[in-house]
Amino acid sequence: MGVKFASKDKAIKAKSKSGQKGEKSFGWKLLIPVLAFFGFFNIVPTLWMLGLSFNDYKLISSNAPHYVGLSNYQSFLADQQVAHAVNRTFVFLAFAIIFQTTLGILIGVLFWRNDKLRGRRLALTLLFTPMVVTPVASALFWKLILDPNFGVGNYFLQIFGIAKIDVLTSQSLAFPTLLVVDTWMWTPFMALMTLAALGSVPKAELEAASIDRLPLFTVIKTVVWPHAKFILMLGILLRSIDAFKTMDLSLIMTDGGPGDKTELIALSLYRYAFKSFNLGYSSAISVFLLFIAISLTSIYLYVLNLKSRKEA
Amino acid sequence: MNDIHLKNVSKHFGSLKALNDITFTIPKSSVTVLLGPSGCGKTTMMRIIAGLEEPTSGQVFFDDLEATNVPTRRRNIGMVFQYPVIYKGTSVRRNLELPLLSEKLSKDEITKRVDEVAELLGITEHLKAQVDELDNGTRQKIAVGREVARQPRIILFDEPITNIDITAKLELKRSLKELFSRLKQTIIYVTHDQTEAMTLADQIALMKDGSIMQCDSPSEIYKNPKSEFAGWFLGNPGMNFVVDKFINVKGNDIGSALFSQSIPLGAKAAQVKTLGVRAEGISVSNSQTPGSVSARILSKSLGTGGQYLLNLAYGDLTVKARVPHYLGRQLENNVWTTVANENVMFFDDAGNAV
Repeated sequence: MGVKFASKDKAIKAKSKSGQKGEKSFGWKLLIPVLAFFGFFNIVPTLWMLGLSFNDYKLISSNAPHYVGLSNYQSFLADQQVAHAVNRTFVFLAFAIIFQTTLGILIGVLFWRNDKLRGRRLALTLLFTPMVVTPVASALFWKLILDPNFGVGNYFLQIFGIAKIDVLTSQSLAFPTLLVVDTWMWTPFMALMTLAALGSVPKAELEAASIDRLPLFTVIKTVVWPHAKFILMLGILLRSIDAFKTMDLSLIMTDGGPGDKTELIALSLYRYAFKSFNLGYSSAISVFLLFIAISLTSIYLYVLNLKSRKEA
Repeated sequence: MNDIHLKNVSKHFGSLKALNDITFTIPKSSVTVLLGPSGCGKTTMMRIIAGLEEPTSGQVFFDDLEATNVPTRRRNIGMVFQYPVIYKGTSVRRNLELPLLSEKLSKDEITKRVDEVAELLGITEHLKAQVDELDNGTRQKIAVGREVARQPRIILFDEPITNIDITAKLELKRSLKELFSRLKQTIIYVTHDQTEAMTLADQIALMKDGSIMQCDSPSEIYKNPKSEFAGWFLGNPGMNFVVDKFINVKGNDIGSALFSQSIPLGAKAAQVKTLGVRAEGISVSNSQTPGSVSARILSKSLGTGGQYLLNLAYGDLTVKARVPHYLGRQLENNVWTTVANENVMFFDDAGNAV
């Protein structure tokens, strides 16, 4: 009897193994369209760009692309202008994340705490408007507001007897102005992520915390953060990558000026690729940007995993 | 002495009336169980006492002081939720300590209370473990322990053993029973399970459709239900109801196929529409005794505690009876039954006891 059972058992196991294999291959087949799409539009261009970065390839030159090894990278590392742009971009990124995350969390908490407030939905819709407007349109719109001659901003300053300021050509104010506009545009995104993050905290745990009279800091640390951290950190990650790529704002509002005060790395890249048509060199810059984006993602994922590992 | 008093409390969620004009008192140092089917308003009532919901109208008093608008934090209550609420990413000891840290107690006192409560609930061995690793039953014990250690004015339990597997359920029920008898604290316990209510309660408030149907001790509410609903909801099986087509009202006397002689009821007899008899209120025998009537056994089955559950027929009238195991085995198909007068309840048209 025992033998019989054992052989039956084996048969079942074998069957389930082959069944699992079949299921697995079916899963892969289902993935084919998306993998093909991803490969064609993502991996191929990336590899192409990587290849180009080792070539001297200028669209305005009649020379065919030829292999130059690490030469593009060497000139990129020696390029003072690019180095400044990279530094500036990191400063822009840091301030943008600090301002937008802080303000976004404050606004998110405000809406979360007052979920029965009248007009909440309307206020939320209005708040999210800047986020849905195309960045180029937003940039143009702010450029017009801040225009020294016919801008609404300066008109109001004049009413209060304050002299006109041309912030976009001011050496000291142009960069902060870009930051303010970026913050205006993207704080709603962080507010939305905060709302989503707070929404993921179970109501019973918050109620238990208020019944247990836990102090606010303990509530945030032991109840809110463990649930909210993933969505909030994802928001910060997305915003960081996006801020690093900011180009449209400075192109439209200041064109990198005055001087190179608002020249961000993505704008430099745009100039090398589509003004100077130096595709080899701009590909090297792109590879650098890709490296930064991947590093940021890895850092965030590492931080989150580390925390959850510690908790486990 | 009163601890909590609700005065004309109503709660409406849009068009849904969750609580209708409830006036109710919860005495100090007693276990009050709010019992009723799902959607009867028992949890809403508890949440109003906790301050987690505001009543649409009415007042809540704690020790004769109005507390209707006092925020939850200042009510000094403890609450155990349906799903075990634990503070994740911390140890069991830390979970039990957390609320005590804001009570400004000395370190020794905190340790003493945590150890005592852990001992009481049998979770001492888990004190160093991370809460995330534990099963739901132990997590719920931690949630209970956290509230007990704080020693609040009152502890609310919202169906605490509903979402726990069966073994842990029995264990937790036993722990709670022991805990309640030791604590001598004001406790409100919400459940839809009559066994839990009968085991744990000093008084049961039976609720239906946002109203309290009856509030009495478990034995009183079982023996003398004030409504058909109370008779039906409590007991396993629920009370047998004999509807008016099987009742003969002759002047002030009430007769039925269940008993050989009419029961004199006085002037109230005219109001009676339904008779109620509990399954164990019917005595069954193989032989005829004085005052017994004959019945036929339609079916026999073994019920909880080894007792036999009988389906008896008196002509077209069928009722359920419960008899001890030894008797149930001996019974033949045709039996003789008697029902003592004190085992018969009378209800009017609206289902209220006469």
